[in-house]
Amino acid sequence: MAESGKLGNPLKLAAALVLGLLLGIGAGYALFSGGQPATGPTGSPQLTPAPETVFKIGFTIPLSGELSSVGKLWEKAIYMAIEDLNEEVKAYGLNVRFEPVVLDDKTKEEDALKNVQSLNQLGIKIVVGPAASSQVKAVMNYAESNKMVIISPSSTAPTLAIPGDFVFRNTGSDALQAKALAALVSHEGFSNVVVFHRDDEYGRAFAEFFAKEFSALGGTATSMPYATGLSDYASEVAGLSSKVQELGADAVVLISFDTDGANILSHAKDDPVLSNTRWFSSEGIHGASELLQPEMANFLMRIKFLGTRPVFRENPLYKDFAERFKKETGDYPPVFTDKVYDAVFLAGWSILRAGEYDGEAIKKALPLVAEKFYGVSGWCILDENGDRLMQDYAIWGIAKSGDTFEFKDIGSWSAGALTMEEED
Amino acid sequence: MIGPTEVLNTIWIGIIYMIIALPLTLSYKVTRIINFVHINFITIGAYVGVILFLLGVNSLLLVIPASFLFGAAIAVLNHFIAFSPLEKRGANPVILMIASLGLWIFYKYVVYAFLDLGQKVFRTNLFSVIPRATSLPDVSVGGYVLSGHFFAAILVAGVILGVLYLLLSKTSVGRAIRAVADNPTLAEISGIPKERVVSITWALCGGMAAVGGLLWAVFAIATPEVGDALILQIFAVSVIGGLESLLWTGIGAFIISGAENILMSLLNAVLGVPVSFRPFISFSALLLIILVKPPLGAGGGLPYRFKIVRHYKR
Repeated sequence: MAESGKLGNPLKLAAALVLGLLLGIGAGYALFSGGQPATGPTGSPQLTPAPETVFKIGFTIPLSGELSSVGKLWEKAIYMAIEDLNEEVKAYGLNVRFEPVVLDDKTKEEDALKNVQSLNQLGIKIVVGPAASSQVKAVMNYAESNKMVIISPSSTAPTLAIPGDFVFRNTGSDALQAKALAALVSHEGFSNVVVFHRDDEYGRAFAEFFAKEFSALGGTATSMPYATGLSDYASEVAGLSSKVQELGADAVVLISFDTDGANILSHAKDDPVLSNTRWFSSEGIHGASELLQPEMANFLMRIKFLGTRPVFRENPLYKDFAERFKKETGDYPPVFTDKVYDAVFLAGWSILRAGEYDGEAIKKALPLVAEKFYGVSGWCILDENGDRLMQDYAIWGIAKSGDTFEFKDIGSWSAGALTMEEED
Repeated sequence: MIGPTEVLNTIWIGIIYMIIALPLTLSYKVTRIINFVHINFITIGAYVGVILFLLGVNSLLLVIPASFLFGAAIAVLNHFIAFSPLEKRGANPVILMIASLGLWIFYKYVVYAFLDLGQKVFRTNLFSVIPRATSLPDVSVGGYVLSGHFFAAILVAGVILGVLYLLLSKTSVGRAIRAVADNPTLAEISGIPKERVVSITWALCGGMAAVGGLLWAVFAIATPEVGDALILQIFAVSVIGGLESLLWTGIGAFIISGAENILMSLLNAVLGVPVSFRPFISFSALLLIILVKPPLGAGGGLPYRFKIVRHYKR
């Protein structure tokens, strides 16, 4: 049927031939005229500059959904970084330009995957994002089979530390942060804590590693997961309160993102048990503006709320970056913004170092670029799993500055040693 | 076990569920549209509060009416630009529901765009805010801190319910609304201006849901997705009322809120069910109620009646 239809329609065949001929002429003309200056005699001045090469960098970030409060500010950092990167390559005399393609993944696994697929269809081979570990897990296999390089600025789950894959993470694995946080909680004199954590890849892995590290220091950590993506956590906080009483726990360790964490703390503030318990946290809630509202900030200062967060110690570049960011957006950069900014540079320079816009080649180039790259987030050198190798942690809390409140680093953890600044 | 916190949360959350779910039931009764823009009413109501608090308007007496007016205006606008023209062209309830889905997405991104702008103007993160009226003092009862916002929520809910009750039962507008809900064709024949009654209903429902959203934001948190995260519970509450009975919708609010707080806490204490099972608990409670004791006869509302209609047509 199909065969006879094909043969029985000479018109179509003729049309195809004509079309092919036209295309051939077009291609030949383009090759001929485009190739001429390049193959011209040596030293002859070019009349028109060659068009600049444009490389696209894909982004899948949480512009809506659970992490939108940080994602929206990351977007600003991305455009800042692209602009700076383009200026930098021009300064090196390279005739290239980078163009961002930013997609929103709604902080959801399936949307992150959909975005990576769309970016692949656009021929993009390097993607910065997604943000959450659960999302990175969701796109990992697709990236691997389609040879796309993924640079997550913020995925920290130790379970995703896999050597040789296409996923790079511009931040240290939580295996290390769990150690830092355990050391902090133990240093503050607690041995029986409840870990109240997100029931997702990030929260579960963090809780597991924390429990391991904390018991090595002689403590007991009981893990208590809560469902993610809810509109409110009052009932969970009530459950936590009875759990703390039941176990006679002396502190709570909160592993959350910012919106859920802020909501949890706002309810804990009104709970008779939890408002008199010491709280600790990871980096997830650092920078959330809700924590600086006077009512909340006073509560957090009263219970001496402390957390850990990945930083690079004594990095002069970060300070300038933070001030500049504040000037442009009105906010200090929220958690991981510096890593998003640097991830753009890593992506750009890796494409150039690879010599061709090909996933496999970029994957090989990236660790070599990272090894020599020192950005606003510090030295980006990677370990054998493609995760940040050199990672220190700051100990942060809330402090009063004049009439307002601010996030303040009051100590650090580096290579197994906890240092707290002198308290006034 | 069950402490004062669980009871307090049940009451507080129950009240807010009620304020948001009642207009969903009412608007369905009158218009037969399953309205997804209800989600936007909640979010927009919450953000009217956020913005006004940011502008330094601290009195709930000003913020709540503003929130109501905003929600009401959007609901009426939807009626005139989308639902009414579609209905005139003979669209059935399914098409109207799909139109409301479209409007839901549209408004959601309008809110995102607006907040993006707002972030530039106010120089602060608007994507996750806990709005607080600083003029309300906390009350301490036996070492227990009761937020002033709790009493404000009870007061606001009381006023709204009182006004709604009086409006529906004692005024001619209320009688007209009930007539249209019972039998729109008959109401129209009897000379009730259906179009006007429907717009009044929309204004009432949009406004109430917006105030509910504001109360919720004060209790929990405001994000551009707050309505989205809340809507499943709200639909559950309304379905307990069969999308028909306002009384059962009110009761349903406390059933769902009780399941989420008291029942969850009991199951956690006695059987060790992790608290991350909360969404599962509330929806199991919903299923159980619908299966064991349908509030409005067999199947309660929507699906069953539609089946009967189809049989007649054949």
